[in-house]
Amino acid sequence: MPTIYIDGRPVEAAEDQTVMQAARAAGVEIPHFCWHPALSVPGNCRICMVEVEGKGTDIACNMPVKAGMKVFTNSDEVVAHRKAILQLTLLNHPVDCGICDKAGECTLQDYHYRYNGEPSVSVDAKVPATKFNELSDRIVLDNERCILCSRCVRFTREVSGSNGLGIEHRADHSRVQPSSDGAFRGDPYSDNVVDLCPVGALLSRRFLYRSRVWYLEPTPSVCPGCERGCTINVWHRLEDWKLKSVATKENSRIARVTPLENPAVNGPWICNKGRDLADLFERPRTTQAKVGGRPAEIDEAVAAARRLIATATRPVALVSSWGSNEELEAFARHLGGRLACFVKADHRPREGEVLEDGLLIKAGKNPNSRRARELFGDAAPSFAPGTDLVLCWGEGFDPALLPAGAKLIVIGSFFDAATDRADVLLPASTQLERDGHYTNFEGVVSAFAACFPRPAGVADAEALFGLLAGEDAT
Amino acid sequence: MRHLIPEFEAMKKRLPPGENGVLVLPCLKRIQEDRGYVADEDIDGLVEYLGVPRIQVEEVLSFYGMLRRAPIGRFHLQVCHNVSCSMHGAERLLDRLQSRLGIAPGQTTPDGRFTLSRVECLGSCGTAPVLMVNERYYELQSEPLLDVLLEELGKP
Ligand code: SF4
Ligand code: SF4
Ligand code: FES
Ligand code: FES
Repeated sequence: MPTIYIDGRPVEAAEDQTVMQAARAAGVEIPHFCWHPALSVPGNCRICMVEVEGKGTDIACNMPVKAGMKVFTNSDEVVAHRKAILQLTLLNHPVDCGICDKAGECTLQDYHYRYNGEPSVSVDAKVPATKFNELSDRIVLDNERCILCSRCVRFTREVSGSNGLGIEHRADHSRVQPSSDGAFRGDPYSDNVVDLCPVGALLSRRFLYRSRVWYLEPTPSVCPGCERGCTINVWHRLEDWKLKSVATKENSRIARVTPLENPAVNGPWICNKGRDLADLFERPRTTQAKVGGRPAEIDEAVAAARRLIATATRPVALVSSWGSNEELEAFARHLGGRLACFVKADHRPREGEVLEDGLLIKAGKNPNSRRARELFGDAAPSFAPGTDLVLCWGEGFDPALLPAGAKLIVIGSFFDAATDRADVLLPASTQLERDGHYTNFEGVVSAFAACFPRPAGVADAEALFGLLAGEDAT
Repeated sequence: MRHLIPEFEAMKKRLPPGENGVLVLPCLKRIQEDRGYVADEDIDGLVEYLGVPRIQVEEVLSFYGMLRRAPIGRFHLQVCHNVSCSMHGAERLLDRLQSRLGIAPGQTTPDGRFTLSRVECLGSCGTAPVLMVNERYYELQSEPLLDVLLEELGKP
């Protein structure tokens, strides 16, 4: 393990590390645009200049460590270089931060304030380029803001493998462009380039002009899109900046979803389905308990369901594979002995969706099938003759399959055919309204936290299970 | 481009396997020599033959200004307008050609005979001003010499 000195501090580096990597591991952040820990090293942006004693300045991202080397990340010479590089980087940049979604989390903006902070020294007109280059129905590219770091291009070549982007033409006319065969449109991981882009060149159309990022905060969560269970950040309006009179709906809406880096599960990426969770969670919600199709108080509905369970001779439970570990365990504890339990797929692959690939996407489209099967077995749902009650927790049950004469209790968050048909309907919270854990297909347990309050009339399923088992009953 | 595949195979033999990307440029050059420009079907064929991503071919095509995507006239007149040639009257040569042919640089005569281009240094500064007609150099040019040249090329 060679020892190197970063700004005078001894740092243990690994043999094969670069100065950039060793510094980062030691908590020293060297500015960078083109370098990314999960991509190759092109060394094109030159912002990561450091000074090595006796050797002058060079880029840290492509500099192998050498025992005893003395690196300075902020010497006068380094700072002068960074200022000069930033003048170059900004030569044709429009500096339209005022209307740029990236403002606030743009490294070009950050470094400019830190190292340069001066107007351009150039007197020449800036070279104009396309401002609204539609790369797909998900992403737009502002070629004027692009600093040609090539992160997005390398992502499509080295990670997603779509080869969907390239840099065409040369010099001042160099432009990131999509491949004409539409490869980028078909890339199920395309939205990662929006996070990767160090500036506001690549933007999500879903998020375009929706909010300034400093009005938002992230809540750690887990994508329920498939059994990979990628960890994510769900971004929503900050408490202090909740809207009071106009568009108050925005307060409890998902503004955007980004990956929450996690080496054990998804690394720094997620797939596009994970970005679209708003579509999943913003479907019409069940918020009114019902008995026999008529609105009822929640207590009344619980009592009715409890009676049905107590009097059934052959009750069957369809357990949600979207339930948390805590909920599944509570279900097993309270109701597992009373009903014949089967694990139900709440979600099946949608038309056109990528079924499975070698990167992240898994064929099982529910987040907690593994824990559910550990507790309730692998058998496919079936109804023995004489089944007179079905307790359906979650979505995905076709009520046409309900045995003749059997009653149906549904504990669900969203309307579907089963909630319409239910003899008793109990509205339940979603994973955005409570804390919990999922176990992914490899057995890795990840936590999610509540980011929105539970709507009125909705209960946590976990609380309902105890009540249904009648354990508080006298 | 399919009839060129035996030639491409010979180039491939000189490379380690998996390095097909290296062949994009020489193949495009050969295709252009053969057809006069690179057609859509050439790109399709090359992507399929080399097994490289389409964007890689598109990057090379857009980077090199000498690779053409559309047909040009039978005689391609490329007039150098870089420093040495400009100092020796390149603009006058261009003006002369423009008025004689009735087209601006970048255009082709309606009869498909001549295409005029303004290009950067042709590497023959010592004999400026210089122009190229297809693959041939015409050095130490002047307006009267151009008239002779045009006559030889069949300009009425
Ligand atoms: S679009 Fe963004 S990520 Fe892609 S090259 Fe430009 S600056 Fe880099
Ligand atoms: S791979 Fe699966 S868990 Fe990960 S973001 Fe996509 S759908 Fe969600
Ligand atoms: S980060 Fe080192 S050159 Fe771009
Ligand atoms: S300047 Fe014309 S050939 Fe060099």
